[in-house]
Amino acid sequence: MSKLAPPHHGADLRPHRALAYTLACVLVMAAVLCTGLPAPARADNSPDAALARLLDSARAAAAAPGRCAQPGIDRLVRILCIGRIRVGVRDDYPLFSTRTGTTRQGYEVDVAQAIARKLGIDLTFTKVKAATRIPMLADDSTDLVIATMGDNTQRETQARFIKPHYYRSETMLVGARDLAAADWENIRGLTVCVTVGNGSNAELVSRGARLMLFDQAVALPARLSDQTCTLAAQDDSFFAYYFADPSFAARFSEKFGFAQIPWGMGVARDGSERLARALDLMSQIFHRDGIFLAAARANHIGTGFLEQQQSLWGRPECDTDTGTTDPACILPPANAELQPTSFAGSVSAFETWFAGLTGFDLLLPMLKTAPAWSLFLNGVFNSLVLIAGALSATLAFALLFGAAMGARSRLLRWPARGVTIALQSSPILLTLVIAAAIIHALVPYSSMVALGAAIVALGLSNGSNAGQAISEAYLTLRAERAGLPVDHIELFSRALSRSVTQIAAFLINAAKGTPIASFIGAPELLSALTDITSFSSGRATTYTLLLVFYTAVVIAVVWLCRRFQGFLERSRAAT
Amino acid sequence: MNLLVDRLSSNFLPSFLAGMAVNFEIAGIALALGLALGILLAFARLRGGVAGIAASSVVGLMRAAPTFVVMFFLLNALPRDAGLSGVMIVAMSLVPYAAAYIADSGVDALRQLRTGSPLACFLILPNIARAFFVLVMSSSAGAAIGVPEGVAVILRQAEKLPAFGDMLVLFAIGVACFGMSGQLYMGENGPACMSIARQKAIS
Repeated sequence: MSKLAPPHHGADLRPHRALAYTLACVLVMAAVLCTGLPAPARADNSPDAALARLLDSARAAAAAPGRCAQPGIDRLVRILCIGRIRVGVRDDYPLFSTRTGTTRQGYEVDVAQAIARKLGIDLTFTKVKAATRIPMLADDSTDLVIATMGDNTQRETQARFIKPHYYRSETMLVGARDLAAADWENIRGLTVCVTVGNGSNAELVSRGARLMLFDQAVALPARLSDQTCTLAAQDDSFFAYYFADPSFAARFSEKFGFAQIPWGMGVARDGSERLARALDLMSQIFHRDGIFLAAARANHIGTGFLEQQQSLWGRPECDTDTGTTDPACILPPANAELQPTSFAGSVSAFETWFAGLTGFDLLLPMLKTAPAWSLFLNGVFNSLVLIAGALSATLAFALLFGAAMGARSRLLRWPARGVTIALQSSPILLTLVIAAAIIHALVPYSSMVALGAAIVALGLSNGSNAGQAISEAYLTLRAERAGLPVDHIELFSRALSRSVTQIAAFLINAAKGTPIASFIGAPELLSALTDITSFSSGRATTYTLLLVFYTAVVIAVVWLCRRFQGFLERSRAAT
Repeated sequence: MNLLVDRLSSNFLPSFLAGMAVNFEIAGIALALGLALGILLAFARLRGGVAGIAASSVVGLMRAAPTFVVMFFLLNALPRDAGLSGVMIVAMSLVPYAAAYIADSGVDALRQLRTGSPLACFLILPNIARAFFVLVMSSSAGAAIGVPEGVAVILRQAEKLPAFGDMLVLFAIGVACFGMSGQLYMGENGPACMSIARQKAIS
């Protein structure tokens, strides 16, 4: 019994043991599930796995019979079919992409090679320029562009930008080492050389800098060296090459940066969905794994942004296959949209109609965007104020100098004569700068103060000449009436009539000289249009209209002066 | 003053003299082109008829065109492949003024010649000398587009001077140098002649 008992007992125990085994197995399986199975689940969510799946499916599509010959296939499949990717790069951007003979080097070249390696295909470089990089994507001359292209809201409508961005630049102000220009307060009134169309020009304009425009960035270091520019503004990536030259670095330094803009690789907007997605994931992996950073270090470019991005893309919340669409992980494009005017559409329609009619491209940027329209209106208004002010000041100083130089007292006559000689000996540009310097030493700078300084300088310069003519007429009248009783006011009035031709001539001269006020920062029309053309197109039309405006205004002033002259001569004849 | 001399760049004086030479170069080119165009216009005006009316209209427009705006127009509106240097752009911008002035003086001179006063006709020569001085002064507008003429050199130097007083002394030196260059051309009545020249150029 006892022998049986154990079995019995054992029989009693067997279900418990089985239950224990079952529980143990469940626990082991649960442990395996908790440790082993989550690993493949997490790998599915990683950018690496997403990229592998995407490439596998694209390779399968490329291997399918007849698929490669089909029209309209996605560029990723086509690239895999051909076994080669065409990448558009620049030829002449030091440290980023340069070509010497058949050898290309630079950060962007290294990035292109890393992409080709990841795809396991060959690489062909195509040359692009700033103006051609987007059109070449659109006309399928290249599959991918890696060419110092800033990502902004305007370009986002023309190309598909790869996110995350592979670099970020900012506009850097560079000047002589001994120039104190640490912030915006020091920039006002200084000559800053820039390239036409640079998006950061509007910011410089709003800060009171005097812009000097160039077509090519390569002109800027030379103009800094020959002191044409006090400062030059351009991407920090551009200046990186020049600062590698010890003699340039010894003379110039970076003052401060602004207007940061992320750089993006670009593919065509149509037919590149899978290619763009593959590049998004690759870019994400390259940041996380430090591939971008290593390429940057190898090419001696700035690495601050890339270090920050490596840290960001290593975080679990970004290191997923949805990270490239997470606003917390990617940077937004720079906002390059300028608010259009309410009549921008009509202006564009007029431009098209005019071009069709005459064959000339008439571009009217000052009418199309709200900031340009505002600058234009202010410029016209300030020009008219400046002309009216210069005419009034010329007349007032003419009377003052005429009276002083015609006075019997040497204490009045000699200083007036001395000032007149000095003003006649000074080029008008220098007179303006001196007037501005003196007025700015007395009151804080503002555009209205610059306008006032210009009115005073133009009035003094022309008024002293007209005053000399009045005094000479006064002296001749006094000589003619020698021995007769003299009414000084009546004599002065007759002197005015006698010198009216010269007074009118100097009034016209003052009106003609008003555009020079732009040199000291007065916000008149020349200054406003220069600012507008620095961030928009249509320079030829703009400056033609400017010439027409000022010539018409001077003709109007000539007409008014002749009417005034006629009136005075009739009055003199009547008396 | 010694302190100012210490603060001036060692190459200031040679740069300034080279800059003044650029002013004279610009004025010389503008005057040569203005003479060629102005004499043609003067003959056309004296001839009368359609040519005379057209020439008078052109001279009127050239008188009214502000030099500074013409300079920016040439700089921005001309095709880039025109290949004009900064010096040539400033010189070309002064041509309308010079041509209009020469046309006016030329008409006077030719009338004197026709009325049998050859000596009065030669008065055009001092007028041309006055125009040259006005052109030298006006060529300083080139500073605005980066031409390294005299005023540009002074302004560059002034930006580096920390003291306001030093800056004013430097400006005074510049004014004196430009004034002296005028005296060289026109004798002691230079400034007065200049005012007459300015007036004649417009009226």
